[in-house]
Amino acid sequence: MSTADATAGATAGTRARRTPGLVPVKETLRSAERRPRHPAERGTPAARSPWSFWRLLRSELGLTFRRPRNLLMLAALGVVPVVIGVALRVVAGEDGMGGIIEDVAGNSLMLTFVSFSFLVLLLMPVVVSVVAGDSIAGEAGAGTLRYLLAAPAGRTRLLAVKYLNAVVFAYAVTAVVALSALATGLALFPAGDVTLLSGTTISMGEGLLRIVIAVGYVGAGMAALAAVALALSTFTEVSIGAIAATIVLIIVCQVLRAIPELGEITPYLLPTRFTNFDAVLRDPVDTAALGEGLLAFGAYIVLFGSIAWARFSGKDITS
Amino acid sequence: MRRGTYVRWGVPVAAAAVIGAAIGAGPVIAAVSGDPVLPERSAQQLLADAAAANSKAGGVPPMSGTVQQTASLGLPALPQDAGTSPLSLLSGSHEVKVWYGAHDKMRVAIPTQLNETNLIVNGGQGWYWDSSTNTATRLTVKEGAGQEHKTPMPQPTDLTPQQVAERLLADAEKYTDVRVINTAEVAGRPAYQLVLAPKAEGSLVQEVRIALDGETYVPLQVQVYAKGSAEPAFQVGFTQVTFTPPAPENFAFTPPAGAKVEEKTLGDQPGEHAEERAEKAEDVKERVKVVGDGWASVAVLPFDQKELATKAAETPEDGERFGGGADPNALLDSVLKSATPVSGPWGSGKLIRTKLVTALLTDDGRLLVGPVTPEEITKAAGVK
Repeated sequence: MSTADATAGATAGTRARRTPGLVPVKETLRSAERRPRHPAERGTPAARSPWSFWRLLRSELGLTFRRPRNLLMLAALGVVPVVIGVALRVVAGEDGMGGIIEDVAGNSLMLTFVSFSFLVLLLMPVVVSVVAGDSIAGEAGAGTLRYLLAAPAGRTRLLAVKYLNAVVFAYAVTAVVALSALATGLALFPAGDVTLLSGTTISMGEGLLRIVIAVGYVGAGMAALAAVALALSTFTEVSIGAIAATIVLIIVCQVLRAIPELGEITPYLLPTRFTNFDAVLRDPVDTAALGEGLLAFGAYIVLFGSIAWARFSGKDITS
Repeated sequence: MRRGTYVRWGVPVAAAAVIGAAIGAGPVIAAVSGDPVLPERSAQQLLADAAAANSKAGGVPPMSGTVQQTASLGLPALPQDAGTSPLSLLSGSHEVKVWYGAHDKMRVAIPTQLNETNLIVNGGQGWYWDSSTNTATRLTVKEGAGQEHKTPMPQPTDLTPQQVAERLLADAEKYTDVRVINTAEVAGRPAYQLVLAPKAEGSLVQEVRIALDGETYVPLQVQVYAKGSAEPAFQVGFTQVTFTPPAPENFAFTPPAGAKVEEKTLGDQPGEHAEERAEKAEDVKERVKVVGDGWASVAVLPFDQKELATKAAETPEDGERFGGGADPNALLDSVLKSATPVSGPWGSGKLIRTKLVTALLTDDGRLLVGPVTPEEITKAAGVK
């Protein structure tokens, strides 16, 4: 229980990091494996386990959303749709513009989808991988990981908390982009019925519903990316290494996607699925594309989640 | 390494195995459950049934689905900016959504990233919608021009389907081995596959497979196999299909507010144009010579490289219509760059090889094109 209390204590202060104490605690594989053999030892925490889990998650979320670096990244992402909106507003008057600019100029809701289509390729993945890649490696680097594990919270549970924390942040990133784009769109462009890519028109309420679906889909994609970053994060004690590795992976995927000769493998690359949110803009909604994308995200989460678990639960924690 | 470590790493390995199995599940399940077996039919019976099914009152039953087209023709690299032009269909894989209600009710949509092109036909009028230019074009089919929209099946009224099948096969069997596979599966449906294998030695085509749905006899897939490759060089077919009437909204189109609306009438070409075209066609027909027969035929036509280049430059309108960026000159250059110079007793020229088609551009201004091996085409070049 001391972990949750310790972290809760840390959140109360303005410091974003857990202060390493002077208690020489060293958890190795041997001590980690020994624990389950003594059921009595974890009797009381087990009874309170659901509560301690949520408390741990809450304190993690508090840390994540109070950390100035993360807030700064969210703010920067929120500015991008405003910039796009203003830029489109400036050029909207001119003739001969492409269809997408005309779509935005004609309807405020379209700015959300345009913003997604720009940001989903690189910026949103970068922000998400900073938080997810930092999750385990950051603790290890700061020397706080062993204190987290000193409590009988269990490695699996800690990993689950760290991942859920990253997922919530991923959805926060998506929601910030969507809301900022929506507000900018409503301020700069006329509201009303939405014209879909298929040329049919739907009411504004249904348009908002489709934005919600798009947010759910893109958020799920970012959550899948967070699983990759988390897995990389368990392999290193230098958080920047995990973050950089994830970003490099994304860029490599984008390069591979641009090579037409490699068309065979593109459906299996994660970033290919990010842009499929445009399925909600078709009539009827291309549920097959959305479903395939979600299945792919699920596969990535299961695969990299289990790699993270296998690595983390068998790792010697020395820092 | 501890024993526990192996167990632990077994989990991601198992996860990877499960995912891999899920990706490959289609083929695996098909292999385990065995191929669907339809009652055996000879090619003649099959064609007769298909002709009967397609010429009865309802024609092709209402259906909707996804059509995928894949081409790996082994073409020299095409310019990348071809975009959505028809040229881009020559390489890679493309997906088209189809809704078919009746012979005068259909919708075809080509979805691309944040864009969509739609062709909607409802009754006598059609709409062409391009979201990238925000343009809706109303297409009116002129009376009498609708003839060509009928199902392109041989249906002379004085012949029964059986007779049609017989005649078709009699023509085909001169050059082709025809057989029927009754265990194929396309888009999850059992299907008959009509396999046409050329008898000619020099042909590059191994076989052509046409899949007909086992129940409705609707053609579901066409595959063209080149000699010496296990994967089809060209394939177009349904990846998903349902034989239920699509929702009527699919065939109703109203141009959205703010869209550009254009009018176009099909089959209403100015008379002189049509005449000119017919003349041109005649002219070309006269100049084109066919050497060889059946699957090994080679078309020989006069070809002036310079003339083509200037013509391409003169008609920028056409280039634009086919998707802008695809500059015919750039295309020609890139194709010619990959050609290999060859020479023989017939003269010399440049040879362009693809998986299915070989083309020879001789220095004395002839272009030979045919689905044959380079040896055959040089032989044809010798025939004056």
